[in-house]
Amino acid sequence: MSEPVDVAPKPHVAHEVHHEELGFWRKYVFSTDHKVIGIQYSVTGLLFLLFGFCLMMLMRWQLAYPGVPLPLIGSLLGEARMPGGTMLPEFYNELGAMHGTIMVFLGVVPLAVGGFGNFVVPLQIGAPDMAFPKLNMLSYWSLFLGGITMLGSFFVPGGAAQSGWTSYTPLSVIAGTGQTWWLIGMIFLITSSLLGALNFITTIIQLRAKGLTFMRFPFFVWAQFVTAFLLLLAFPPLEAAGVMQLMDRVAGTNFFLPSGLVVSGQALTNVGGGNPLLWQHLFWFLAHPEVYVLILPGMGIVAEIIANNTRKPLWGYRSMVYSLIFVGFMSFIVWAHHMFMTGMGTTMAAFFQTTTMIISIPSVVILTALIISLWGGSIRFNTPMLFAVAFLPMFGIGGLTGLPLGLNIADIPLHDTYYVIAHFHYVVAPGTIFALMAGIYYWYPKATGRKMNETLGKIHFVGSLVCMNAIFMPMFIIGLAGVSRRLFDAGAAYAFAQPTMHWNVVSSWGAWTLAIFQIPFIFNFFWSIRKGEKVGDNPWQATTIEWSAPSPPPHGNFVHAPQAYRGPYEYSVPGAGKDFVPQYEA
Amino acid sequence: MRGTRNRLWLAGGLVAVLGWPSVAVAAATVTGTVTFAGKPPALKPLAMDAEIVCHKKHGSKPAPNEALVLGNGNTMAHIMVWVSKGLPAGKTWPAPKDPVVLDQDGCVYKPHVMGIMVGQTYRILNSDGILHNIHTLPKINTAFNRGQPATVKEMTTTFPKPEAIFQVKCDVHPWMSAYISVFTHPFFSVTSTDGKFTISGLDAGSYEITAWHEKLGTQTASVTVTGNETKAQDFKFAVPAK
Repeated sequence: MSEPVDVAPKPHVAHEVHHEELGFWRKYVFSTDHKVIGIQYSVTGLLFLLFGFCLMMLMRWQLAYPGVPLPLIGSLLGEARMPGGTMLPEFYNELGAMHGTIMVFLGVVPLAVGGFGNFVVPLQIGAPDMAFPKLNMLSYWSLFLGGITMLGSFFVPGGAAQSGWTSYTPLSVIAGTGQTWWLIGMIFLITSSLLGALNFITTIIQLRAKGLTFMRFPFFVWAQFVTAFLLLLAFPPLEAAGVMQLMDRVAGTNFFLPSGLVVSGQALTNVGGGNPLLWQHLFWFLAHPEVYVLILPGMGIVAEIIANNTRKPLWGYRSMVYSLIFVGFMSFIVWAHHMFMTGMGTTMAAFFQTTTMIISIPSVVILTALIISLWGGSIRFNTPMLFAVAFLPMFGIGGLTGLPLGLNIADIPLHDTYYVIAHFHYVVAPGTIFALMAGIYYWYPKATGRKMNETLGKIHFVGSLVCMNAIFMPMFIIGLAGVSRRLFDAGAAYAFAQPTMHWNVVSSWGAWTLAIFQIPFIFNFFWSIRKGEKVGDNPWQATTIEWSAPSPPPHGNFVHAPQAYRGPYEYSVPGAGKDFVPQYEA
Repeated sequence: MRGTRNRLWLAGGLVAVLGWPSVAVAAATVTGTVTFAGKPPALKPLAMDAEIVCHKKHGSKPAPNEALVLGNGNTMAHIMVWVSKGLPAGKTWPAPKDPVVLDQDGCVYKPHVMGIMVGQTYRILNSDGILHNIHTLPKINTAFNRGQPATVKEMTTTFPKPEAIFQVKCDVHPWMSAYISVFTHPFFSVTSTDGKFTISGLDAGSYEITAWHEKLGTQTASVTVTGNETKAQDFKFAVPAK
């Protein structure tokens, strides 16, 4: 790894460059400052997470009490969707497709990559801003347009997309107008991610502080670095596929429509020659790396917080970094394990089973290193640490229950059941979202100069931990009983599903209670901006470079250009005067 | 003077009373019977044992196939008969306020064939109390494809454009099938098992009358009516020779 050039601005230079007073619009709305953009991404992501969560709560009513009118809210949603307050299957499909789309592409990715990446990465590498600030602004506004398009699709005739967040063809090609809006929205979102990825890669390579070699990167920077490569290389196929599906829908092309397609008993004319499976390949070529886009930033956050709160260096930092790179590489050759149901044949299945088993090894290495890092630590159980520690078993459950899905013979009976929902949500909900919550509590003082309230934080944590498990653990039981994951009535029409119906009630009440436990967080988030405990630049006694900047950091970030003198986790160094030696102190 | 005035009123009233029917009732009727010629084919009954609620409604036996329903003397039900040509151009007829009702009862659409006017309310009932899915397959109007869960007893829609007969089906119960045609005028009729149809309210003139069966195709006939006469026009369908 070569020694980077010192490109961080000298204090007087920064002062000259950033002296200009900006108006409200350029400072807070069309800002090019990475911190403002990071906060814009974060707030947007949190709002969409809340919206996606609300869609899910509506679905949970239908699953717990199929066919029963939803009191109060049901009648407000209109006769076309909920006549008399009873949910129609088409509306359930809308909710399902849009919940998945919004949570993944408008909630977690903007928060984990756009939010934390933008706010933290330049600070952690000692950079004054991102390499391409205007591109950064464009990236956010592209996401914003994508979000508006997705929201707007609820109001078009026939409602929003109903073909699932995977938009499998040919169903999605013949679906209603909402699907066209979904595709246009996705093109905006993908463009946003591509621009962001270019910016992150360039920034991390070119703008790191003097002395900050690659092996001195905080693990979070590594996680964002690998994530940016995943976005850059995996999203273009989906962007192309999205344009192709759009063409199939509006321009009469047949990329995904096969010959002899019969819909509702009627043979479609003027279609043929396309391949529906092509969409699945292109979609999953993105969407499996996307799983790692969702999880790697979370792992990065958790690593920072565990090292800081155990007051120990991360155990096996190098092996974690190599595992991270290996995961990134392998994530491009496992996609078809999502497609065992297509009957791909034993040779192809054997290949993808093998790669899937292999990719679990580096994931386990990272998780194990994080667990071992706890050993012998003088652990501070503050709110970020509680969320970070809870991430480990939650992600562990999600990861381990994924192994049977990576094997053809086990996947086929499990694939279309609630088991998959439980597995994936353990990875992303109590997994990634817990990590993101940990990150919010951890870096909030850097963004605002104040800490969030600890008591409210702990109420938020305990309630969320219990409720998340109450939601998703029953889904393993329901799934193992063979209940399909896409039934709008949770299987009420089927005799074999009857013994599982009460688990849906447990799951739904878990979801609604989880909503109640987010109230302390929302209150805490806003209340602490003005009333939270005031803190200095480094309230957690942390070692990484972002804590050398003022809280909140000014435009240009650092008073003096920082320099890295050592690795990122020099905690409890024998002979040192204090239990942490920041990497920015000579 | 008063007597003369009374006589004038009386004469005017008589003229009005005698003349009124000739204006208001000057509407002709075309009626007839549709029959099936030849030996009726044996059609496969509808097995519904996959849907226990409907299976029981049919006495736990397969339900009769609705594609060919014959009465005494091989009279044919489910024949749509309508005026296909000859109506005055530019004339419009208001859609009735009463809806056309389609019920789902025993996993069978009732009625099996129906006509509706543009803008008239199409009321869809679910007497079965199970999940159905109403899926219209028009070429001109927008398809209506909506699930009707057990607890949703009624849904409504309209068709904004005239359209020749198209199918209505249930994606949950593939044997369920009905047909509907959307007209700009009220001159249509569907036969019941007695095979009879009646189209009334026609002005004097020459018309083309079309009769349609879902498997046996269409037949047309030319009819000329005058005044308020009733003209008979029968149709006879047969399985085409191979």
